[in-house]
Amino acid sequence: MAKVSVLNVAVLENPSPFHSPFRFEISFECSEALADDLEWKIIYVGSAESEEFDQILDSVLVGPVPAGRHMFIFQADAPNPSLIPETDAVGVTVVLITCTYHGQEFIRVGYYVNNEYLTPELREHPPLKPDFSQLQRNILASNPRVTRFHINWDNTTDRLEAVENQAPALGCGAPLSCTPVKGLGLPGCIPGLLPENSMDCI
Amino acid sequence: MKLLKPTWVNHNGKPIFSVDIHPDGTKFATGGQGQDSGKVVIWNMSPVLQEDDEKDENIPKMLCQMDNHLACVNCVRWSNSGMYLASGGDDKLIMVWKRATYIGPSTVFGSSGKLANVEQWRCVSILRSHSGDVMDVAWSPHDAWLASCSVDNTVVIWNAVKFPEILATLRGHSGLVKGLTWDPVGKYIASQADDRSLKVWRTLDWQLETSITKPFDECGGTTHVLRLSWSPDGHYLVSAHAMNNSGPTAQIIEREGWKTNMDFVGHRKAVTVVKFNPKIFKKKQKNGSSAKPSCPYCCCAVGSKDRSLSVWLTCLKRPLVVIHELFDKSIMDISWTLNGLGILVCSMDGSVAFLDFSQDELGDPLSEEEKSRIHQSTYGKSLAIMTEAQLSTAVIENPEMLKYQRRQQQQQLDQKSTTARETGSTASVAGVVNGESLEDIRKNLLKKQVETRTADGRRRITPLCIAQLDTGDFSTAFFNSIPLSGSLVGTMLSSQSSPQLLPLDSSTPNSFGASKPSIEPVAAAGTRPAGDSVSKDSVNATSTPAASSPSVLTTPSKIEPMKAFDSRFTERSKATPGAPALTSVTPTAVERLKEQNLVKELRPRDLLESSSDSDEKVPVTKPSSLSKRKLELEVETVEKKKKGRPRKDSRLMPVSLSVQVSSDPSMYIEVENEVTAVGGVKLSRLKCNREGKEWETVLTSRILTAAGSCDVVCVACEKRMLSVFSTCGRRLLPPILLPSPISTLHCTGSYVMALTAAATLSVWDVHRQVVVVKEESLHSILAGSDMTVSQILLTQHGIPVMNLSDGKAYCFNPSLSTWNLVSDKQDSLAQCADFRSSLPPQDAMLCSGPLAIVQGRATTSGRQAARLFSVPHVVQQETTLAYLESQVAAALTLQSSHEYRHWLLLYARYLVNEGFEYRLREICKDLLGPVHYSTGSQWESTVVGLRKRELLKELLPVIGQNLRFQRLFTECQEQLDILRDK
Repeated sequence: MAKVSVLNVAVLENPSPFHSPFRFEISFECSEALADDLEWKIIYVGSAESEEFDQILDSVLVGPVPAGRHMFIFQADAPNPSLIPETDAVGVTVVLITCTYHGQEFIRVGYYVNNEYLTPELREHPPLKPDFSQLQRNILASNPRVTRFHINWDNTTDRLEAVENQAPALGCGAPLSCTPVKGLGLPGCIPGLLPENSMDCI
Repeated sequence: MKLLKPTWVNHNGKPIFSVDIHPDGTKFATGGQGQDSGKVVIWNMSPVLQEDDEKDENIPKMLCQMDNHLACVNCVRWSNSGMYLASGGDDKLIMVWKRATYIGPSTVFGSSGKLANVEQWRCVSILRSHSGDVMDVAWSPHDAWLASCSVDNTVVIWNAVKFPEILATLRGHSGLVKGLTWDPVGKYIASQADDRSLKVWRTLDWQLETSITKPFDECGGTTHVLRLSWSPDGHYLVSAHAMNNSGPTAQIIEREGWKTNMDFVGHRKAVTVVKFNPKIFKKKQKNGSSAKPSCPYCCCAVGSKDRSLSVWLTCLKRPLVVIHELFDKSIMDISWTLNGLGILVCSMDGSVAFLDFSQDELGDPLSEEEKSRIHQSTYGKSLAIMTEAQLSTAVIENPEMLKYQRRQQQQQLDQKSTTARETGSTASVAGVVNGESLEDIRKNLLKKQVETRTADGRRRITPLCIAQLDTGDFSTAFFNSIPLSGSLVGTMLSSQSSPQLLPLDSSTPNSFGASKPSIEPVAAAGTRPAGDSVSKDSVNATSTPAASSPSVLTTPSKIEPMKAFDSRFTERSKATPGAPALTSVTPTAVERLKEQNLVKELRPRDLLESSSDSDEKVPVTKPSSLSKRKLELEVETVEKKKKGRPRKDSRLMPVSLSVQVSSDPSMYIEVENEVTAVGGVKLSRLKCNREGKEWETVLTSRILTAAGSCDVVCVACEKRMLSVFSTCGRRLLPPILLPSPISTLHCTGSYVMALTAAATLSVWDVHRQVVVVKEESLHSILAGSDMTVSQILLTQHGIPVMNLSDGKAYCFNPSLSTWNLVSDKQDSLAQCADFRSSLPPQDAMLCSGPLAIVQGRATTSGRQAARLFSVPHVVQQETTLAYLESQVAAALTLQSSHEYRHWLLLYARYLVNEGFEYRLREICKDLLGPVHYSTGSQWESTVVGLRKRELLKELLPVIGQNLRFQRLFTECQEQLDILRDK
């Protein structure tokens, strides 16, 4: 069993302008004191099409972690707009929060992020070149996708278990058939999910 | 019978492999496949039982779900106490869950269900040992053990008091082990496997009792599980899938001889699960019908792969009820409610069914009392001798008794509330942490958050701890809220006391270890007059301060156990002719008091020697339990030397020696022989240093050995002389002439003990100038083959104790002039006795004194734990009583008041717990004595310096713990009151 289980991730200051930093309040429980730090990362998926547009917004070490419940706020700067394909600037994408221990990822929390213009005019007539200053970022905080991985928490040479993928029912059964990327079907799911989630966000 | 399928009990359509109803009947657990992990769900029972509750939306149906298992959960089982839930699954793990009361409702983060967990169950232990899927888990009666079985062909027995300790791994199955059941009296555990065998294992030694294969020979194919069951009366074991004439059956195996003559027939496919009703029933007596006593019977539910369920009464030839087509797929597990009237059945198809029987259908359930009577009459032992229910029916007759009971309850409450308070600091997570509300914390979290940079420049956040977990103290937590009664207390005590015992255990060998002191030739030789032709070497036998262990004693000042070891440091040095200048110190060996004939053989020589007025003497040996050098060898060599050189060989004698008095670390004695004085007369000098004060005296003859205590210093010289000095160096007595040369000298207080080479023992009280033991021969205790004295002890009351090499210890009882056996390492009583439940809560086993020293600190509680159910209870009671009585008697003979009190209280507590009235009454009577003074009374008001009536007062609260003794309690109380008023 995982020594660390994430209890909650609260998305703070949401929605917010595109350029404002991401802020997550993460609470987790640790069943026994960890010898080493946890490493948390925020990854912004620039484009659903390819991993190469993923941006690691920030990575922090969290520790020491004794047994118990803990919380911290993970803040990271907004993604670099220049690294985002223009076609993907507006619309739904994904932000991932991952946590690794000893270099092994054991949890991945994904949120759908909807970037859209604030004004109806811009929405209807988006500029050819995305105007990031006018974009509002809305994280679909109510619907995290949590994927847990079984990792070796001790330094013993325990054989790693098969990846366990916990996908909550999103209310849309079909899109899960997409090919997994990084052991997680998330980015690939987006096209299928898009209409519905857009609706949710609006 | 009513049948209900609560559709809301489901794992979203995924199979449910296991179901178990909580002992209190308020909830039940299911285990099975989750979305993509194993899943354990705890459900509320009342919506199953009551339709109104089912409809009431305010009553939660699901209480908690745990997705922590990585793969399908095959089995969920509540502990008998209801405190824990164990789950085992395909991820090879067993998880033990405990309810966390302080954490508020929460959801499983990221799970689709927005349902909050009403109850929080946290995994407190993960048991890893199996290399394959765990198929079944089972708690032993009394929750002492947890067993698990796996497709790795093994059964693992876990110490449920000390997870994750493994007590045994039962190997022997050659196929996947798919079911487990404990014998209700805890003597056996049975397992059934795919290898077409059912094996019964003994809990005594965890070895195979029997392997039953015949009914399973025809078994082909596989069932997912093979959950077998043992009847509540212990008589029958019923297997899952067995075959009889090509038909699937559930085989009945009789406990007597493991006979397999009967079976439950009728299912069309393999039986997957058998579950006995926890109750034993008797026929409902109809009004008017002749009240002929009917035989009690059991009730058993059988589930099969054929999707049907049958319920059988052992008094009927045909099933009570058969329900076909109950599910779409195989039945996987069955659980009875504790009242025996309801069963939950779960199926591979992911649904659960509830059957509700009436008493008319099943019969009258026997009360726990009747059930334990059956157990007691059949096995001589019941697991529920004093049940809570039984006690509560007793009428409390005495207000004092009531007070005691109340006080006890209050204490328990206090304990609980303190533990609650302990956890309370972290308790209200939702409320306040360090006086701040969680909301405040959240607001300021970013500001307050400690962020540092690591050496490589990375950000490092120190997370804010918002709640501590109560992990790590599993064993204490385990028993916090269990009522203090019965043997569970014993387990608790042993688990609590063992860490306390550790330091003692380790310190004891330490102090005993003093018998092999590090012996270093002290440089003192260099400071001596160099012109002295005879080489001098002083030996400093240092001892570790023996007072190290008393720091944990309650009355350390009274006990000076180590005094007796003084003289063991009277190391002798021998200057070998070849190297006269620098001699090496040989720790001379064992007191080798040989068999009688040899001693006799020795004696004349000794006598001859001394009569011829030679300076020679048989080399004095010191008793040492460690050194194995044999005296006889030494004697021979000395003899040879004597023959070769009839003149005295001074080099054989110690030139100087120094003794540290271990009872008083600041005191040491130094002896220097052959100090040349005026006129060439050689004298011996005795020096004693105590707390910096030094005195000296001279003796005319060579000093062979010295010993001291805080009251006296004595030295044994050549020519069988024994001199005794006061602590200031004043001679107390003219030299005592010993009957034969000295072997060992001891001092304790004002007592001096001399053991001579002729194996006679004398003890004198030099202050009162009386003899305590007069030339008592050791032959009677050394009789037999090849025995030696391994340790000598002189108690502060002047009682000599001899520890022999065969593990026995005798003390000499001066008033009876007898040798009494006070300890025997091979004593089987000590090993069978189990009185842990009677150990006092605080100073458990922290009793030290001569008896403890003699017997060593080898607590057998570890072994006893494993024997918890192994010996028939009556035998265990008897052995325990016999053991405790011998301990009390031994402490009395040793006049060790502290230990006497300890063992007496322990004995009384055991009598109270086990309900032995006559012996308890006798003790009370003796302690109370005659209330009205009579001249003819022989009654002594004290025993080993303790006032008997004070002891009785101490006993009263103990007696008050058992309502059964309230009369006795009242009697004693009243008479004590009368005495007090006088």
